[in-house]
Amino acid sequence: MYIMLADDDEDDRLFFKEAFEAIKIFTIVKSANDGVELMEYLSGNGNTLPDILFLDLNMPRKSGMECLMDIKRMDHLKEIPIAIYSTSASEQDIENTFVKGANIYIKKPNDFGKLKKLLEEVIKMNWHYQTSGLNRDSFLLSL
Amino acid sequence: MNIRSALSVSFLLRLVFIMAMFMLLFIIGISFKHTDSLSKSSEFLVHSYKIQLELEQLLSTIKDAESGQRGFIINNDSIFLKPYKNGLKKVNVLFESLKGMTASQVQQRANLEDLRHLINMRFTYLTNSLALISVAGGNQLLGENMLKGNAKMDSIRLQINKMADLEISSFKKHQEKYNKEISFTPLITLLMLLFSVLVFILAFIKINKDLTVLKNSNEKLLISTESIKHAEKIGEFCTSIWDLKTNKIFFSDNLYRLLGCEPHSFEPTLENYLKFVHPEDRKIVGVKIEDILDKHSTYPRYYRIIRKDGQERYFKAVGKFIAEDSENNMHLNVMEDITKQHWNSLNLKERNRELEQSNKELAYFNQVASHDLQEPLRKIQTIISIIKEREFTNMTETGMDYFIRIQTSVSRMRKLIDDLLLFSRTNKIDKTFEQSDLNLILNNTLLELSALIEEKNAVIQSDQLPLLKVIPFQINQLFQNLLSNSLKYSKPDIAPVIKVEYERILADDYPALKINANKIYGKITLTDNGIGFEQHYAEQIFDVFKRLHTFSKYQGTGIGLSICKKIVENHSGYIFAEGKPGIGAVFTIFLPAE
Repeated sequence: MYIMLADDDEDDRLFFKEAFEAIKIFTIVKSANDGVELMEYLSGNGNTLPDILFLDLNMPRKSGMECLMDIKRMDHLKEIPIAIYSTSASEQDIENTFVKGANIYIKKPNDFGKLKKLLEEVIKMNWHYQTSGLNRDSFLLSL
Repeated sequence: MNIRSALSVSFLLRLVFIMAMFMLLFIIGISFKHTDSLSKSSEFLVHSYKIQLELEQLLSTIKDAESGQRGFIINNDSIFLKPYKNGLKKVNVLFESLKGMTASQVQQRANLEDLRHLINMRFTYLTNSLALISVAGGNQLLGENMLKGNAKMDSIRLQINKMADLEISSFKKHQEKYNKEISFTPLITLLMLLFSVLVFILAFIKINKDLTVLKNSNEKLLISTESIKHAEKIGEFCTSIWDLKTNKIFFSDNLYRLLGCEPHSFEPTLENYLKFVHPEDRKIVGVKIEDILDKHSTYPRYYRIIRKDGQERYFKAVGKFIAEDSENNMHLNVMEDITKQHWNSLNLKERNRELEQSNKELAYFNQVASHDLQEPLRKIQTIISIIKEREFTNMTETGMDYFIRIQTSVSRMRKLIDDLLLFSRTNKIDKTFEQSDLNLILNNTLLELSALIEEKNAVIQSDQLPLLKVIPFQINQLFQNLLSNSLKYSKPDIAPVIKVEYERILADDYPALKINANKIYGKITLTDNGIGFEQHYAEQIFDVFKRLHTFSKYQGTGIGLSICKKIVENHSGYIFAEGKPGIGAVFTIFLPAE
């Protein structure tokens, strides 16, 4: 499974990778340091598109929100399931990303065990169901 | 005083005077007529006597002529014939005079003609008698002739008497008519005079009364004028009245004063007023005053005035058309010196701006304190959990102990930050008040706390709660904080019992409720049987971070009750705490119920 994370925080990228390594599912994790880097990768010729894209909202140069809007505008990218991966869990952010077409919202947990559980849940999700039914109530993923 | 009624009074008076005037004129007319007829009557009398006199004279002239002839016959002296000769001439003169006098009297005139005829005949006899004297032997004829003459003389006397009688009777008739008139008019004149006097007296009384009213209203007017003058002085405002008909403007005394001038020290014209208006603001005043005529100019308007001494003042002007009659032809302007208010409002704005600024800073601080502090904290916690999972077993006993202490402290710090964030978010802005059933809210809270309630084996009894206009989730938070507070500070060996009671009350009955717009409150009390607290802490427990117990005994951040207070204050309500150590605590909430 090909997974991609866009996050400017080095520590968070580290936790993210560690968590996936600990999960007993075969995954390849690719990361981008900010929004610009992410969009360059996604638009690059011949680059493998991720099965799931994890998107931090607060990033320099280009925010996660801007990336989300760009991706949903592009025909070859708009089908990629997008999981928002943010420190904030403000109503406003959740509402906005939901409206713009994100599939799931994850608040970065403060426990490694929880992080592993959340990520495991996300990659095990039935994305066809999650993308077609767009459910506001189950949008914010919590354990 | 009503102008209209004053006008009608003067109209009435005018009418009365005109009536009286006409009566007087009438009386004058009657008097004139009366006098005129009096003089006519006396003329008539004189005329009548004159005729009688002339007639008498005529008779005596004939008699003279007759007796003269007799004397001549007896004495045969021609001197006796003189009256006879003169008599004929005199008779002619008298006749002419009588003819003139009786020109207008038809009957008398006819009588006169008859008389003339008789007299002529008489004279013919006389003449015949004279002729017979000189004829011898005519004594017989003379005697006959004289007898005939005497008979004629009797006829003449009769005729004269007839004429005199006619004069007397016509005079009597005239006198009767005159008397009739004269006896009638004095009564009318007297009545008219009396009536006129009455009218004048009534008019005088009325005038007197009106004068008293006028005097009183004048006094009132004077008082009100004076008080307006004082009011203008005290209230720092002034007025101008613009008469559109005459295009004249009146300025009140205080207008001059507010411009820094002596009252009436310059001509009250628009041009002179504009001289005091700040050059940049002249357009506002100038243009707008011309706009007055179209009656759509906007009020109030604000402009600056530069006083005579150079001081800049701020004016607020309002204007209105006042109706003098059916047409609006007076424009009243009221100008107020609002310099003080202007600066006050500027200060207020400045302070408001500062407050907004400080609020923004506070919000930013909150953001930093909660959000940005959470970021590294989250990482610390994550790393702690990674270490605990992977490296914990490699640690020594002491290392493990310290490590656990680190974890506890970090957790507590997170709790503090979370609560602080919750506290700072608990405000009124952007929250909508809805009519809500507090029973539903309480049930929801109980559901949320069900695990804790079960764990503590607690009993919660509640009255029927009301429908109130509140921010529902904040009230939920309020119930949650208070109930969990009671559950937390319960006695370890006794199952907690919490009573929720409700009562609708009047603010007047509770001095602790400061006077404000709300009169009726919903009073909700939560009574528990927990450990209670010393009453002197009753106010402090609502302060942020205030704790009465050590953390190890009762965990908490000391923010929960602060949030309660904030929520209640958001609802313009009050919250009070009452504690008895070892017995329990009572929290009383007052929420506006109108």
